[in-house]
Amino acid sequence: MRVTMRPVSWVLVVLLLLLHSAWAQMEGRISGVVSDPSGAFIAVATATLNNLGNGTKQTTITSDQGQYSFPVVAVGQYELEIASPGFQPYKKIGVVIDVNGVLRIDAILQTAQRTQSAQVTNVPTASESTQTDKSDDTSFGLMHYLSKNGRHDVHNETWNLYGQLTAIGFDKPSFHAAYTNLNGSNSSLNTYAEQSYTQTLTLFFGLRLRPGTDLYIVPEEISELTLSKLKGLGGATENFELQKVGSVKPTIYRSRFFLRQTFGFGGQSIELPSGQMQLGEHVDSRRLVFTLGNFSALDVFDQNSVVGDLRKSFFDEAFMTNSAWDFPADARGYSIGGAAELYWDQWAVRVMRLMPPVEPNSQTLVFQPFKYYGDQVEFEHDHVLFGDQPGAVRLLLYRNHELMGRFADAINAFEANPADNAANCGTLYNYGSENPTAPDLCFVRKTNVKVGIGFNAEQSITPNIGVFFRAMYSDGRTEVEAYDSADRSATVGTKVKGALWGQPLDSAGLGFGTSWISAIHAKYLEMGGVDGFIGDGALTQAHENMTEIYYRKHISRSIYLSADYQRVWNPGYNAARGPVNLFGGKFHVEF
Amino acid sequence: MWSSERPCGLAFASILVAVSLCSLPAEAQQQAEGFALERLYTSAPGGGWIVLDALDMHGGLGGAMELTTGYEHDPLRVQAGGQTLAVVSSEAFVDFGLAATYDRYRVYANFTMPASLTGDSGTVGNYTYTAPNVGLGSDPDNLADIRLGFDARLLGDARSPFRLGAGAQLFIPSDSRANYDTDGRVRAMGRILFAGDQGIFTYAGQAGVHIRTLDDSPIPGSPQGSEFLFGIAGGVKIPVGSAKQFVVGSEVYGASAFRSFMQAGETDKEWLLSTRFEGTGSSGRQARVKLGVGRGINPQFGAPKWRVVLAVELFGWTK
Repeated sequence: MRVTMRPVSWVLVVLLLLLHSAWAQMEGRISGVVSDPSGAFIAVATATLNNLGNGTKQTTITSDQGQYSFPVVAVGQYELEIASPGFQPYKKIGVVIDVNGVLRIDAILQTAQRTQSAQVTNVPTASESTQTDKSDDTSFGLMHYLSKNGRHDVHNETWNLYGQLTAIGFDKPSFHAAYTNLNGSNSSLNTYAEQSYTQTLTLFFGLRLRPGTDLYIVPEEISELTLSKLKGLGGATENFELQKVGSVKPTIYRSRFFLRQTFGFGGQSIELPSGQMQLGEHVDSRRLVFTLGNFSALDVFDQNSVVGDLRKSFFDEAFMTNSAWDFPADARGYSIGGAAELYWDQWAVRVMRLMPPVEPNSQTLVFQPFKYYGDQVEFEHDHVLFGDQPGAVRLLLYRNHELMGRFADAINAFEANPADNAANCGTLYNYGSENPTAPDLCFVRKTNVKVGIGFNAEQSITPNIGVFFRAMYSDGRTEVEAYDSADRSATVGTKVKGALWGQPLDSAGLGFGTSWISAIHAKYLEMGGVDGFIGDGALTQAHENMTEIYYRKHISRSIYLSADYQRVWNPGYNAARGPVNLFGGKFHVEF
Repeated sequence: MWSSERPCGLAFASILVAVSLCSLPAEAQQQAEGFALERLYTSAPGGGWIVLDALDMHGGLGGAMELTTGYEHDPLRVQAGGQTLAVVSSEAFVDFGLAATYDRYRVYANFTMPASLTGDSGTVGNYTYTAPNVGLGSDPDNLADIRLGFDARLLGDARSPFRLGAGAQLFIPSDSRANYDTDGRVRAMGRILFAGDQGIFTYAGQAGVHIRTLDDSPIPGSPQGSEFLFGIAGGVKIPVGSAKQFVVGSEVYGASAFRSFMQAGETDKEWLLSTRFEGTGSSGRQARVKLGVGRGINPQFGAPKWRVVLAVELFGWTK
């Protein structure tokens, strides 16, 4: 089934969002911030709104920034109660909601006799800075429902179960290009109008085998249709889910199956909120965490809590991680291996070894961990700026020791023997180019090394505004093995929460990205070569630049609709092509 | 791997296969496809036995999580014309299950991850078999068919001498037939379940139908359409302290294709020495560890030469 939505359809989607927003104004809403006497925000506090007219209740929990919201409140009289372990309960009576009424009720909870279980967020630790998204939507899930009914304890879990459903669609109108797939090359973005979509359904199981030892299993289903068979874009693939290599026919697979072992070394006691792939628990701010099994490098490394989970924020793969980070993974983005993380208050150090694919971008991993591997090291420091706003900086280094081809070797092989051209690969692993005048990597794959260094920063400016920056420089000598066709990349952007305009569960983002390739990579493409995702048969080298803006609208409970626009200049690093406009929409629900 | 070994118990099946093969053109070499080979249809999470079901759901809202791993040797040996080919000689899996119970009802889901499936490719009679090659590296994220189930106890209470129930299961296809872990199409089961406890003795049984639309007859070793399911288990409970017990028993179970009902070539029968150590509280959180060791009574049609199963369950009920 092909998505046939045109740009006008996306306009309708936006209109529907606005209509819903207008409809919501017929109700009232209540929101606010919960803090302790020092002003530190209290996360995961339970806020209960009792309707004194009909006896019904609404309940929610506060975010990491202490925010709570009841976005749809019928006209009437209410009583608001807020409770958090370690604090005295807060109660406000005589709360009256009129038509279109918007109330902000901030609460300061007084410290109880014992306060060690409270999580305060004005002095973040390295682990806390990566948890921002996890308590927002899961508060409507099964676990919190059971917890509120006394059948489960989300703060000290032995098991949990979460799920999500996400559908993303894109429309790409036709665009201008001086040429497409010259001389039998096959990796251009098609110039005619196309549509793409993905749909994923995921279940997240967590099970505590013993104190400190957790098991996580994550089955997932995906159905997808790509633009131009996922060819033609270097670091700016419009939908991050497209990396999972599905088909129109739904595919079910196990995305993760791993053990996590935690050893505590003291320091502060901090709460890690219950969420996807996280059992709710209290851990030491000084601890050692081992992860072993089947997982994604992105589960452990290069996290950025301002960008957060892309199912809840931006759409483009450029914002998921550094496009130039060729992290080891199978074609869906997952691998097998181990990671160790040492958290020491505001510092964290991580190391990881994962298995690479047998062939570039293939589904099969080569399971020889001492012969072929990808190694990662990351250093993280969390801090507070602008009074009490959390932020973090991270430095990531990687070294891949894998079977892959060097651009220089492919060029040399072709120049030495023109029979070694892209149309002559035969049974050697290749990307299907039929260009007889171009070099190809299929002749030169052998054990090679790829290295890179990256920087990742995030900073909250106010409780509702965050900014982020990522940049990475890879050596650019070898082909892409597992992620994007990019040798260097940078992204910068901001995410704003809807509390600024009275819609606390809405959010919006604006981001810019650029990626580029090494000189030898460019020469290879100029000669007509193709790699995993790009190659037009010729090249007028330029940076591939992109910008994205989105709005995420809260519909009900944990249901969200997003509208998105992206513009990509010089697709595939080729100034002779584009720019390309992309109009997207996203439906997301968690349970 | 070729072998001249020919178990005498399979003589009739071999004759049937040979007769079937004779009806094919001599020069035809047909490619046999894979299918859902696994015959260990484990009990629902929290179900007590390894295969059979204790039908002891009770109380208010409850639940169970289960992690099972197992290994089996030679689950698919194809024989014809004096030839034997172990198309699947080695299979290992990990299964994760989750159940929710309320009163006498249970819903559950199981996710099975093949860890290893290997064997020998070759030709037997007029059919060419390609062995699966599933491993951690080659198939890092495989999931076999997903099982969704519902059980209800119709007669008796959780500890009565005779309990009667019914259950239904739906298998949603996943992965590819070449890996011998799916039929590539939806399957379903309907079962009548019974169980009971009398003193130190405990028992369980089942009879049902496996609705299977895949019919690859006359390809030797392949599914022959819908099947009859059967099984019975019995054991002795040995109390350990006031709230735990050790159960030792046997489980015998199998399936037979209706197409050739109870004929050796289309019937699998297995036996398991079934042991478990479990909490016996009627409410609160409990744990159970299960170990089964057994062999195929007639090791064909998916029954292995021998198998080992280890499972851990966390389960509980509210009053």
